[in-house]
Amino acid sequence: MTAADPRPAGPRDVDPRPALIEVAGLSASYGRVAALKPVDLHVAEGEFVTVLGPNGAGKTTLLRAICRLVDGAGRISFRGQDISTLRTHHLARLGIVMVQEGRGLFGEMTVRENLLLGAYGLGNAADEVERRFGQVYALFPNLRQRADQIAASMSGGEQQMLAVGRALMAGPKLLMLDEPSLGLAPRIAAGILDALGALNREGLGILLVEQKAPLALKLAQRVYVLASGSVRAELPAHEIGSHHDLARFYFH
Amino acid sequence: MPSLVELVQSLVNGVGIGLVYGLIAIGFCVIYNASGIVNFAQGVFVMLGGMFTHAMLIKLGWPLAVSALVSIVAVAGIGVLVQLAIVRPMWNRKAPLFAIILATLAVQLLIEQIVILTMGDQPRTYPDFTPGGPLKIGDIAISYQLFWILGCGALMVLLLTLFFNRTRAGRALRACSQNREAAALLGVPVDAMLMLSFALSAALGAAAGILITPTQYTAYGVGAPFGTNGFIAAIIGGFGSAPAALLGGVLLGVVQSGAIVVVGAGYKNVVALTILLVVLLFFPQGIFGGRGKKA
Repeated sequence: MTAADPRPAGPRDVDPRPALIEVAGLSASYGRVAALKPVDLHVAEGEFVTVLGPNGAGKTTLLRAICRLVDGAGRISFRGQDISTLRTHHLARLGIVMVQEGRGLFGEMTVRENLLLGAYGLGNAADEVERRFGQVYALFPNLRQRADQIAASMSGGEQQMLAVGRALMAGPKLLMLDEPSLGLAPRIAAGILDALGALNREGLGILLVEQKAPLALKLAQRVYVLASGSVRAELPAHEIGSHHDLARFYFH
Repeated sequence: MPSLVELVQSLVNGVGIGLVYGLIAIGFCVIYNASGIVNFAQGVFVMLGGMFTHAMLIKLGWPLAVSALVSIVAVAGIGVLVQLAIVRPMWNRKAPLFAIILATLAVQLLIEQIVILTMGDQPRTYPDFTPGGPLKIGDIAISYQLFWILGCGALMVLLLTLFFNRTRAGRALRACSQNREAAALLGVPVDAMLMLSFALSAALGAAAGILITPTQYTAYGVGAPFGTNGFIAAIIGGFGSAPAALLGGVLLGVVQSGAIVVVGAGYKNVVALTILLVVLLFFPQGIFGGRGKKA
């Protein structure tokens, strides 16, 4: 996908690529409060999709419901397989991996141990584990230098690199990220997003949830705008020109 | 005032019982760290270890090593059963932690009753693992069993430390203790890890019971005092690492044992519970570098 050839985004039936994940009528609530009204969403193989929305729009709930961390109703299929009833720990083996908001690191463990846990599903296949270490260290050289450091003692940017690197150790087909730029200096956040762009160019499907539009739009091919638990718009990323446009979706 | 000999002797005795408290404490920590559950049935694992070993060793005449190993495996199995039948269903229905903790207390009472009905209420014991002794150093007597407790305790802590740091399952268990959601997202089966923690913890309790029984006795009711003291040791150790829990146990054992010679046996539990309160008041993170538990 090149910038000169913007993919005609929008309805599924014009997308030439098969669906990686399809979410149909997914809803979730906390007690009586509906955090997610029935939402439809999909990511095609190798696509970079961003979900934008204000604080409290239901973005985090959306990702957590897909991962079965909150109970949701609705149908979720991954490469054609219905995964709506699977438990959270089954998803990583299928290739669905999420980087949580706040990174979810094992803070008292070393960088290396965190990465090893990313490869938990590989069992004791040492060669493959080493190969993935090589890939992650190539993407984030800082992590190699800090391999024996306790995760919690690193800077925020390095922690976010570790969170992404750990997810990559699981060998994802779909990487979901919940506000990876939160709390990071713009330059650091841009670096993380550049890495995501590189991964996407190698064919990794990405579903990114962000509150800050500019960073997230640079890489995305398609954007969903979520507000008050509903999808307000679905459009090619290049059609969102300014914050002004976004505000229109948020508050309409 | 007690003589120096009495004090040193009480120190020796205290280290022995304290190591056993420490092993029980490690059992508390393993489950608590994996799940946030304080398993009040921990004491019955200690009692069952001694009871089962007695039955096999004395009634069936099996060799000690076989009796001990079979007992440990059987008690680990009971730990798994408790997790599968009681804890897991409650956990999956998102029962509040305190309800699960109360359920483990009910399990303790239930198992005690089953033991009374099936094995009777008479106290029983079996001889030291190595006959002879005690070893006399001047006027100080050191039971051979103390060396068994020391050796086995050190070995178990070493094996546990290796397990937690060097194996995939051990790392996954630690991961669950730090962030269960993140662990599950990476494919760690959190349920199975919780089951493993109950098996490990029950096995540790059983080993503690098997080691301590020759120096005193076992009966259906010893679970509660052992469980309480193990819990206090775990609090002193800060619910963190295995060596810290073991140190907590030794400290508690030595202070209790000292209290017996200085102020009398009746004050043993008064002293233990006072230590518990002092630690909770002034060292809520534990004395030995334990870590604060994040929710």
